Amino acid sequence: MSSTDAIKPMNDADLNTDATDRQLLQRMAAGDRTALAILYRNYHGRLCRFLSRQTRRPEVIEEVINDCFWIAWQKAGDFRGDSRVSTWIMGIAYRCGLKALRQHGEEPVEDNIPEERMPADDPDEDRELRDWLSKGLERLSHDQRVVVELVYGEGHTLDDVAAIMQCPVGTVKARLFHARVKLRNVLPALAERSLTFKEQAP
Amino acid sequence: MTMLPNYSSQDCPRAWEMMPWVLQASATQEQGEWLTHHLAHCEACRAEFAQQKRLKQAMSLPSHVDVDMEAGLQRLLGRLDAPVEAPQHVHARRSGGWLTRALAAAVLIQAIGIGALGLKVWTPGDSATYRTLSQEPATPATAGAIRVVPDAGMTLADWNALLHSLQLQVVGGPNDVGAYTVAPAASTASQQNTLQQLRAAHGIRLAEPVSDTP
Ligand SMILES: [Zn+2]
Repeated sequence: MSSTDAIKPMNDADLNTDATDRQLLQRMAAGDRTALAILYRNYHGRLCRFLSRQTRRPEVIEEVINDCFWIAWQKAGDFRGDSRVSTWIMGIAYRCGLKALRQHGEEPVEDNIPEERMPADDPDEDRELRDWLSKGLERLSHDQRVVVELVYGEGHTLDDVAAIMQCPVGTVKARLFHARVKLRNVLPALAERSLTFKEQAP
Repeated sequence: MTMLPNYSSQDCPRAWEMMPWVLQASATQEQGEWLTHHLAHCEACRAEFAQQKRLKQAMSLPSHVDVDMEAGLQRLLGRLDAPVEAPQHVHARRSGGWLTRALAAAVLIQAIGIGALGLKVWTPGDSATYRTLSQEPATPATAGAIRVVPDAGMTLADWNALLHSLQLQVVGGPNDVGAYTVAPAASTASQQNTLQQLRAAHGIRLAEPVSDTP
């Protein structure tokens, strides 16, 4: 299974970030909690976004983030360096998320985001976009949502996603394809004339 | 019934596949140019690409769930000091403190690693999913023994080849969560070295040293 169509040449910004992350891990391996705090703050936003596709409960999101960093703290010295640190951390978060969803029960993603949980300064355009997105995402399986979030939200490549989800690249490709087909059907606003077929097995 | 992609030429599948990577700027310049050229001629793919752009834009919005970062960090730091990290271990170097920490970490890590496996692959009985390696009945500790969980997709031939290359033999398992206990056939290699190689090996999900400490 080739993923040569998605080779990601690391740009300078990626390389710099990764070099910084690696230094932080080394410091963590030596017991430096300041380094842990820096890494925690650097990843908090993207982990929240990633995990909020899977649960809307802030206490569960925090639990998963903390499990993730607790493991990262314990395993910092074992980091093998054959992937970017971000891929490694997202992989831990993905597995911690699976565990948490099992413990807390996977709740369906709601149709509309309740008013009170909307940030007050959310512009109308953003809100419209969020509604559009949540309509689409609720039709996806858990794994498909994860793939879509990792690719479009976090900018990971096929190879990254395969490493994070510990599955073959071909599986990621299939999940992405089926997610796109579903999204296209649920969100037809921009889609034009389409032929109708029986859906293929995933 | 589901609508499949609206392919209007034989280039469309390739264009479809390329879109996310062009959007995230991980495609090559050549691929980007090829796609631009295709879009200029293909209305269906133009529509799909517009939708892909919108998807990416929507996905880039910050999380709408409010999680207090600093409070969470304080709780995490508090947790590091909780039961397992006795004060005398705080300054221990990784080499000395690793085993102690690993023992503490093992329960959680194995619960996660094995739990995920149980869910996806082995689908064992209810209680087995949450069993951790450390809960299983004690077996006589073999020097340098390591518990290993191979990926479900690993072939027997690959598994055997890996064990052979690392001079390991199976001395126990698989238990009900699919973990094997392996030990060095010759007592030459260091356990740490073997562990690293196992963890780096394709198809190995988890490798943890077996400790005879409860
Ligand atoms: Zn086309």
